[in-house]
Amino acid sequence: MSLLNVRVQPRTETRPAPARRLRAVTAPAGLRRPKLAYAALAVGGAMAIGAAQMIVSLASTQDAFALAKLNNQQHELSLQKQALGDELVALNSPQALATRADAMGLVVAGAASYLRLSDGAVLGAGDAASWVSTVTPNGPTKVGNALLAPPPAASTETPADGAGAEGSTADGVPADGAPAADSTAQDAATQSDLPPAITDGLPSPTTR
Amino acid sequence: MTTRATRGTRRRTVVALAVILAVLSAFVFRLIDIQVVHADDNVAASLSKLGGSSPVPGARGDIVDEDGTVLASDAFVYDAQLDPKLIADYEKQTDPKKKPKMPWAEASEKIAAIVGMTGDDVRKLVSDALAKDPNSQYAKLKNGLSTEKYLALRDLGLAYIANKARAIRVYPNGAVAGNIVGFLNGEGKAQYGIERMDQQCLAATNGSISYKKGQGGVRIPGSERIVGAVDGGTVKLTLDSDLQWYLQQMIGEQAQRQGAKAATATVVEVKTGKIRAAAEYPSVDPNNVNTVDPEYWRSHIFSDAYEPGSTFKAITAATVIDQGKATPLSHVTVPAREKFPNGTVINDAFPHPVYDYTLAGALIDSSNVGLSKFGTQVDPATRAEYLERFGVGQKTAVGFPAEQSGLLRDPAKWDGTTMYTTTFGQAFTVTPAQIAGAYQALANDGKKIDLSLVESCTDADGTVHEATAPQSEQIIKPETAAAVRQMLENVAVQGGNAKTTKVDGYRIGLKTGTAQKTDGHGKYKSGVFFTSMVGIAPIEDPQYVVVVTLDEPTKMRSSAANAAAFQQAMTQVLKTYHVAPSSEPMGPLLPKFN
Repeated sequence: MSLLNVRVQPRTETRPAPARRLRAVTAPAGLRRPKLAYAALAVGGAMAIGAAQMIVSLASTQDAFALAKLNNQQHELSLQKQALGDELVALNSPQALATRADAMGLVVAGAASYLRLSDGAVLGAGDAASWVSTVTPNGPTKVGNALLAPPPAASTETPADGAGAEGSTADGVPADGAPAADSTAQDAATQSDLPPAITDGLPSPTTR
Repeated sequence: MTTRATRGTRRRTVVALAVILAVLSAFVFRLIDIQVVHADDNVAASLSKLGGSSPVPGARGDIVDEDGTVLASDAFVYDAQLDPKLIADYEKQTDPKKKPKMPWAEASEKIAAIVGMTGDDVRKLVSDALAKDPNSQYAKLKNGLSTEKYLALRDLGLAYIANKARAIRVYPNGAVAGNIVGFLNGEGKAQYGIERMDQQCLAATNGSISYKKGQGGVRIPGSERIVGAVDGGTVKLTLDSDLQWYLQQMIGEQAQRQGAKAATATVVEVKTGKIRAAAEYPSVDPNNVNTVDPEYWRSHIFSDAYEPGSTFKAITAATVIDQGKATPLSHVTVPAREKFPNGTVINDAFPHPVYDYTLAGALIDSSNVGLSKFGTQVDPATRAEYLERFGVGQKTAVGFPAEQSGLLRDPAKWDGTTMYTTTFGQAFTVTPAQIAGAYQALANDGKKIDLSLVESCTDADGTVHEATAPQSEQIIKPETAAAVRQMLENVAVQGGNAKTTKVDGYRIGLKTGTAQKTDGHGKYKSGVFFTSMVGIAPIEDPQYVVVVTLDEPTKMRSSAANAAAFQQAMTQVLKTYHVAPSSEPMGPLLPKFN
């Protein structure tokens, strides 16, 4: 038992151990501060999106309130229109016109005459209308209209009401002569209400 | 390699996953159930809670006349009601911030002033309601307030007044054409007249609007769903409302002057068959129908059938001439009273010696015996057929509600008296509209055009539906019509009413009728008659037919009572339509006697 026979294997080079990536933990790597810009961007973006959404939804719902307000206005105006229309509704009726005309002394005449322009001949009855009306609109059998308030009496029809066309009444002349610069508002209103006085006769059309 | 250690973990994981999956699938199942299976129910249930919907009423259509004058339209009135409990609560309220600014005493005075009651009435109303039920929240204040009053009430700013809008029908022209236009009853259902006849055109279809509400009742934008209302269409009539007013006014005065129960005046345009005026007395005002007897709510022009009397002598003459059995100059011997072979005794209206009347003369003097002799030259079946051609026994084409067709008995069943009385307008009944239609045929050279009252129906979107074109039929030869018109002109000029019915400047044709009325027990009333007068003008180129009737005039009992009314009516019609005066003078007069 000698070690003579033992051949000593030549010692091969021990391969170096594969490099290990593991390293013993020493101090932690320095914490790198995250960039502020990115964070600000992210948060700002989120807030902007939120704000934009709120603004858009506010705007669209604001329209609903505006619409509601306009609808109310329209409703209000149509109510006023109706109220005014109610006042006028019966004034156009033939009974109203006839009773007021009769109160003013107008008559419904008989047959009409016709003027033939080619030779100036008068066809038809040929005589003037009589002063007796063929019907009595204010009589006991007048055609009724429950919508009419009792018509105004003839005495309350002042000349100014019906005299829009006649400019030469005394009513039309008061403050026309010398409109002073310091005329009161009332005077101005009176002036504008009345038709202008006619001094040179009725205006005539110019013909060529 | 699954070891005991790993098996335990994995089992736990699996079990956990399984539990999670089970819960998830339960949720999914439930979600599918809610969102797919019961989707509609849930949507509907949700809408009912946070959605609102209201009907959008459509407006009923207008009725207008030929010129566009509105005869009927819709308007709104308001029904006001008070909330008594709230009033009482406010009165008991001590906190000045919660009390309304106006105390009840002052508010009730203001309310009363607006609605036209006294303050005491208003306070009594509320206290009565509270006495009956202390929690009452409803006390009717006043119905039918106008828009102006509603606005005044609303401007008071009181929380305990509620106003409900209600649509009503307004007739701006009142009683003018009231008998034709008709009216609605309290529930808005049409009674009588055009309102009923053209219900389909006038009726509106309601729409609806549904939406979701947010706080304060503001509608959430985008959530509105609107089904539009369709307004009713406008019905345009052939009437002229100004002429209609004049005739109504005039016929009312004449009826009063003659002491008659009722009167009518009808104007028909010859060339078109359009009814230009249909005036009646008494005439209903659709705004307030209780001012006349319900008998006069319907139009007597269409619904009152009576025996016409002598106005139908012209039709008999047309029949006889058309059949070639006579001409205006043919003559017969006519005593004032004749007993005919079958025992019938016919009298003339006035005593006279035996005359040798021509057909023209028999019409001019309106001789019953004369027409009996002329008329019976044509057999009853033919005469009945001609009467039917002229419109007797059938309703006019107007189709008016409650229209009568009149009655004409089967000629095979005519008894001895009927054989003769039908020649002078007794033993059959017609309405004034049918008389106008018959004379329209005579005026239009024998071409009878159906009467019409409605021009068109214009939908809310503007589509105009013209009324179907009236049918026309040539019922007698033009020469026959011309001959009858010549005789009618002679009646106007030579007859007893010549002076009272003369229309200056125009040649007219005329026929009077004094008909006996039945007393309802098979006999005729004595001493009172249904008088009528029919005229055509101008006779040389007829434009208008005017029929004027008086029901039982008492001052003058014959058709002479109608003379003034007829003359005024015809004058006004010719004036309204600017008809040219007659330029050719009348030809030679037809002889009355042979």
